[in-house]
Amino acid sequence: MLHPGVKLCAQLLLLSLSWGGTHSTGGPGSTLPPVVSGPPLSSDVRSVVFKGESQVEEVQVVRPLTLALECTWTGSQDRPHNISGFWRKDGSELADSRRPVLLENQQYNLRRAFSITDEEGLGNYSCVFDNQAEVDFILAAPRVGEVRDRPTVSYVGDSVVLQCKMEDTKPRPNSWTWYRANGTNKELLDPEPDSPRYHIHNHEGKTKLTVRNLTEADSGAYYCGAVYDIGVTLSRVDLRVITFLEPLKPFLVIVGEVLVLVSLILLYERTKAHGTHPDNPLSDDQAHKLTPDDAGGEVTDSSTRQRKV
Amino acid sequence: MATARVEQPARVEQPARSPGAERATPEALAQDGALAQDGARGWVMVGALFVCSTLVFGLIRSLGAFFVEFVQYFQESAQAISWITSIGVATQQLCSPLGTALCNAYDTQRVVMAGGFLASLGLILASQARSLPHLYLTMGLTSGLGWSLVFTPMVATVMAHFTRRRTLALGVGFTGVGVSSFVFAPLFQYILDNFGWRGSLLILGGLSLNIVPCGALIRPTRKKAPPPPKAGGKADNGGGASAFRSLLRRVYRYLELSLLAHGPFLTYTLAITFFNAGYFVPYVHLVAHSRQAGYSEYRAAFVMSATGAADIVGRVAAGWLTDLGRARLIHMLTGWTGLTGVFIVLMPLASVAGSYSLLLGFGLGYGFCAGALTSLVFAGVPEIVGMGRMVGALGLLSMLESVGGLLGPPLSGYLRDRTGSYITSLVVAGCCFLLGSLILTALPHYFSWTAPPPPRPPDGDGQEERQDAGAGLLGSPTSGSTNGTASKDSDHSQTCLA
Repeated sequence: MLHPGVKLCAQLLLLSLSWGGTHSTGGPGSTLPPVVSGPPLSSDVRSVVFKGESQVEEVQVVRPLTLALECTWTGSQDRPHNISGFWRKDGSELADSRRPVLLENQQYNLRRAFSITDEEGLGNYSCVFDNQAEVDFILAAPRVGEVRDRPTVSYVGDSVVLQCKMEDTKPRPNSWTWYRANGTNKELLDPEPDSPRYHIHNHEGKTKLTVRNLTEADSGAYYCGAVYDIGVTLSRVDLRVITFLEPLKPFLVIVGEVLVLVSLILLYERTKAHGTHPDNPLSDDQAHKLTPDDAGGEVTDSSTRQRKV
Repeated sequence: MATARVEQPARVEQPARSPGAERATPEALAQDGALAQDGARGWVMVGALFVCSTLVFGLIRSLGAFFVEFVQYFQESAQAISWITSIGVATQQLCSPLGTALCNAYDTQRVVMAGGFLASLGLILASQARSLPHLYLTMGLTSGLGWSLVFTPMVATVMAHFTRRRTLALGVGFTGVGVSSFVFAPLFQYILDNFGWRGSLLILGGLSLNIVPCGALIRPTRKKAPPPPKAGGKADNGGGASAFRSLLRRVYRYLELSLLAHGPFLTYTLAITFFNAGYFVPYVHLVAHSRQAGYSEYRAAFVMSATGAADIVGRVAAGWLTDLGRARLIHMLTGWTGLTGVFIVLMPLASVAGSYSLLLGFGLGYGFCAGALTSLVFAGVPEIVGMGRMVGALGLLSMLESVGGLLGPPLSGYLRDRTGSYITSLVVAGCCFLLGSLILTALPHYFSWTAPPPPRPPDGDGQEERQDAGAGLLGSPTSGSTNGTASKDSDHSQTCLA
């Protein structure tokens, strides 16, 4: 918690800045450009009341803000009147945060305001009571949840669409950017509007990267970045480009197997047919007798049909 | 020779379906040294039917794995993508009569081999698709046409090879559908992950080519030349007109269109159409309904898997049971379909009551009975139309029953949208089954213990020819029903099953 004096000074400073700005533009005949102060940071409060040893709380941060985090602990078996509490960020204790915490209404309370202005401000904030209990606040910008874990497979010369969708339950990003992994770096994909190969289309909570005329060099990891005021969150999409020879191999194996089977079967039929004298008219009669159940052993042929005409 | 043929009709064994009489037939054929009924050859055909069921319906069922890929690549709506399988299934069903007509006209072996080639060609061409209509034409129309030339002819072939164990043979053959949906789901995912959708379609095309050896296993028929033109006045009546008329007559004959005036056949088809309408609804809606009732994703999926397993068991068990001959096939069919309807109606009640084990139990019962009835549906056809017209009947039945399959799921979807829950749609699906069962009781001679004599025309000669149609699948020349078919039909309905 900021020292009240510090807080007052800060507020006065802010006030004077804005007042000074309006004053300088308000006067007639004034030619000074307005001093534009940034929009005042919105503020938010997150409180957690807990009993046990630890708890985790996820906080979604979309734009810069002043975030007050408050932890209220009901204490352990013995409740000493006076314990020490401090704040941690990303594992390391914050310099001036350690202070004594008094027992009020059977509870201990820690509260501190953090000014989150950029991506550096995000991370894992923890309030710690006496090294016994802590609450982890995980401050993060929204990240795409359902991302495809398997690579998208496509073919040389074909085109492919890689897409990222931010869930409707999460805040929509201001815009999207795409990156291509280049070794350990990520290289921004910024295609010209009429670029033949890349095309990015953003619509509502979705972004689609279309890559045309694929080559095998296009394989690799692509990252879609959801852009918020506070920063960019990346999600990974993998692309794999193969030639048509790859599925062709199992295909040809199967076709070969089919040809072998068909030849075997037809050969077998032919040898069997030769074994029963196909030229002998008698065998035709035998074939005629191959009638199903209710017919018994009937025989007929075209001459019979003709008789009834 | 001619005299021998005239004598033969007297030897005809008539009521083949009733217990007792069937025993004579296989022995009589065995004496001739001809094709052994219910023998090894038949079971080879069952194996071929198994493979074909796998590669036709098992493949169709598992095409859902491609759905996400197509949506992402073509950037089209889900509905546009689902048209692909809809067109494929619709083509397969609507062109079934074409498949059976071609079997009547030509060699079944060639027809099935051509069908396998077409189906595979459709998938191979689909792998090169650059636009969605391309997929409609290849995966939808071409493969659908190929499938229609494969499935019903294969079913007809298996049925022609068996007498006593016909239903069991069909049941075993149809288990291919259930088994393959267990195997294809992970398999398709694997090849999709490795080859993308283009390579996967290419490989599936190769797999579908395996239908061709299955077709090759069918014994080729030795067809005689078609009957020479009729002597007498008609020959000089302007060749064109009479040639066209005779072509029409041949088409009429091959498609067995006379069946469209056959009362019992239409009754049977109507009942089957109702079954079809309700059949797919639980598969489509049960998981969603279970989720809505509050069960976890895992538990809902488990119910579906258990249902699928029960389906496989049901097919074989019902086939075996029917062939024991204790009860008539048509009675058993009514029993299975009635039970299916009851189970479907009970399923939502179980989940509303909050009992998971009850839901699972009813799901198992539904799966078993639904599988059971598929074995019997086709096997019941010869009893109604006779072996002679069986092939064409199968084609027409497949085509007409598809109306139920096309209308059923959208209707249930509509009901779900209107009422907000799946209970109504599931109950309606169950009622479709119960209604179909009732319609079955309207079949002639339903309430007799023994099977009626199979349909026979007033003269023995017509009987021979129609028997030959079924015989054609076993290697004899096809029948040529004469112009008198139409008149004989009316006699049919008055004498036999009427």
